[in-house]
Amino acid sequence: MIQGTTIYQRRIVIGAVFCAAAFALVGVRLVDVTLFKPHSESIDPTGQPVIARGDIFDRNGELLARDLPVVDLYARPHTLEDKEGAARDLARVTGAEYARLIDGFNNTKHPYVLVARRLSPDVQDNVMHLGLPGLEFEPAAKRFYPDGRATAQLLGVTDPDGKGVSGLEQGLEPRLSESGAPVQLSVDMRVQYILASEVEASRQMFHAKKAGGIVMDVRTGEIIGMVSLPDFDPNFRKFTGDDTDHNIMAADRYELGSVFKVLSFALALQDHTTRPDEVFAIGNGYRIGKFTIHEAEHMPATLTARDVLAHSSNIGTAQIALRSGPVRQAAFLGSLGLLNPLHSELPEFARPLYPDHWGIIETATIGFGHGIAVEPLAYVSAAASVVNGGRRIIPTFLKTSADRRGAQVISPETSAELRGLLRYVVTNGTGRKADIAGYDVGGKTGSAEKPGKHGYQSHVLVTSFFATFPIEDPRYVVFVLLDEPHGTKETGGIALAGSTAAPLAGRVISRIAPLLGVAQKPVTVARENT
Amino acid sequence: MVRILNTVCVALMGLSILALYHVSEQTRVASVELSRVSRQIVQEHSTISVLQTEWERVAGPARIQELAASHLGLTGTPAVQMSSFDSLPRRGDDAPLNNSPIAQASAQAAEPPAGRSGL
Repeated sequence: MIQGTTIYQRRIVIGAVFCAAAFALVGVRLVDVTLFKPHSESIDPTGQPVIARGDIFDRNGELLARDLPVVDLYARPHTLEDKEGAARDLARVTGAEYARLIDGFNNTKHPYVLVARRLSPDVQDNVMHLGLPGLEFEPAAKRFYPDGRATAQLLGVTDPDGKGVSGLEQGLEPRLSESGAPVQLSVDMRVQYILASEVEASRQMFHAKKAGGIVMDVRTGEIIGMVSLPDFDPNFRKFTGDDTDHNIMAADRYELGSVFKVLSFALALQDHTTRPDEVFAIGNGYRIGKFTIHEAEHMPATLTARDVLAHSSNIGTAQIALRSGPVRQAAFLGSLGLLNPLHSELPEFARPLYPDHWGIIETATIGFGHGIAVEPLAYVSAAASVVNGGRRIIPTFLKTSADRRGAQVISPETSAELRGLLRYVVTNGTGRKADIAGYDVGGKTGSAEKPGKHGYQSHVLVTSFFATFPIEDPRYVVFVLLDEPHGTKETGGIALAGSTAAPLAGRVISRIAPLLGVAQKPVTVARENT
Repeated sequence: MVRILNTVCVALMGLSILALYHVSEQTRVASVELSRVSRQIVQEHSTISVLQTEWERVAGPARIQELAASHLGLTGTPAVQMSSFDSLPRRGDDAPLNNSPIAQASAQAAEPPAGRSGL
């Protein structure tokens, strides 16, 4: 049959075969494209910038930081007929500096001049209404913080290129910029706001130079709130007044004074070097070599160990600390992380300062919080570790539900005994103004004289209060600090922690405890209601 | 026979060309539409993102407290006036506080007693 076909017929058959093959190829390709080819979602046909930096949320899903679409404005000077007029109009609408614009427009070396960055949509509209030729809008992103100053020191900011340069924006930079996935913090915005507003109110009331506060979960180590004042507006990059981006709770170190007695008593109770009912001679001064330790105010001739803590006796605490000795004291503070920098998600930290020669006098003074300077966050971590059942807890700014308590630093029994003493401080001692209705709070005051050029300054104080609640099984600690507070008429001119920091901590706890779901004590409620 | 086959092939080719053109045109139109919808989705996402951020700003605790104080006259509530459903007595349970009478159902939280300040 093949032999009978003409050359034309063979050509037609060959052509038909080619056609069939071509159609088959197209068919296979169609099936491949329509059925088997995965859809590519990364293609952005609009040319809009891909916003890579992740959002930041608080523990309840409230937005704390987000990149918003904005534009950068460029001009091509050679297309502008009236360069002076264009520079004047653009400066007026965008807020750019006129002199810089006119210099750029008259400089023929550069084909493009950056007029302004991060223009909002309304400013972009105003620029469009100018009707100027040669303007180009480059899509960009601007980091926005809905809660403004309340979270400024904690979150930090990004630079104009969207890179974190302070706070958690810097500390979480790899997570936020590389994956673009949202990050959920441990911070509760409600607590953060309450802490910020109360600390600011106290700072103004006592005319303190700086102030701060921390709320921490003692089991998970989550930081529920952290405030450092003065702060700044992260949405408005220019500082005004006493604005600063310096977070005193993480980047500064303080000699915290008597709040350190919590740690001295924890060590003494753990090592059984004292008992709460042991009586100590106080007197008018306690001499160690050529140094004499004094009390800040008059004390009875003798005090039990319980009252040494409650009334914050330096002399009594020095005697108790000396029983532990320098080696044991240094080892204990080291086990609480107070002799090394504290590393958390926050990039800011301060190396602790402590004496090279840790002798007898140093042991006595460190016992009541002088001679050692630590960052407040490190102190909170250490103090939380001795009230949470005695297990080391390291703070985190990321939400977690895991019990992150680590190594045992004191026994659970010692921790419980210490909590009893802290409650006694609030009911019978210097912390009475932190005793609030409905909740059993335990705590300790601290009033430290600040060092100056010529030694410690007797009327320049750092006052603080460490509180934990509910005291029988603590879940949270609150630490507040006032740097150089001044007494008021209401406090009788007294600026000590019992009159300044303790009531502040009490107000904070009374507002945040219901929000955090801490059960009230019915007996205490009844007492207040009748 | 060959002529018929030729005619059918040419006809098929013509129909195929028309069909291919039709499919190609439909694809182009769909592609344009896809671009438009994608652009619209991006814009909508952008708008939603801005509106969410704006909502967070206007519904922030600072502003709510300010509005509540200025328009509703609300002030800070003492912790003792707040409770949870879990703390309410169930039917048949003893009344709270061991059936003791409550002088005031709600009270301003008392100021703590003035204490001596100290270190």
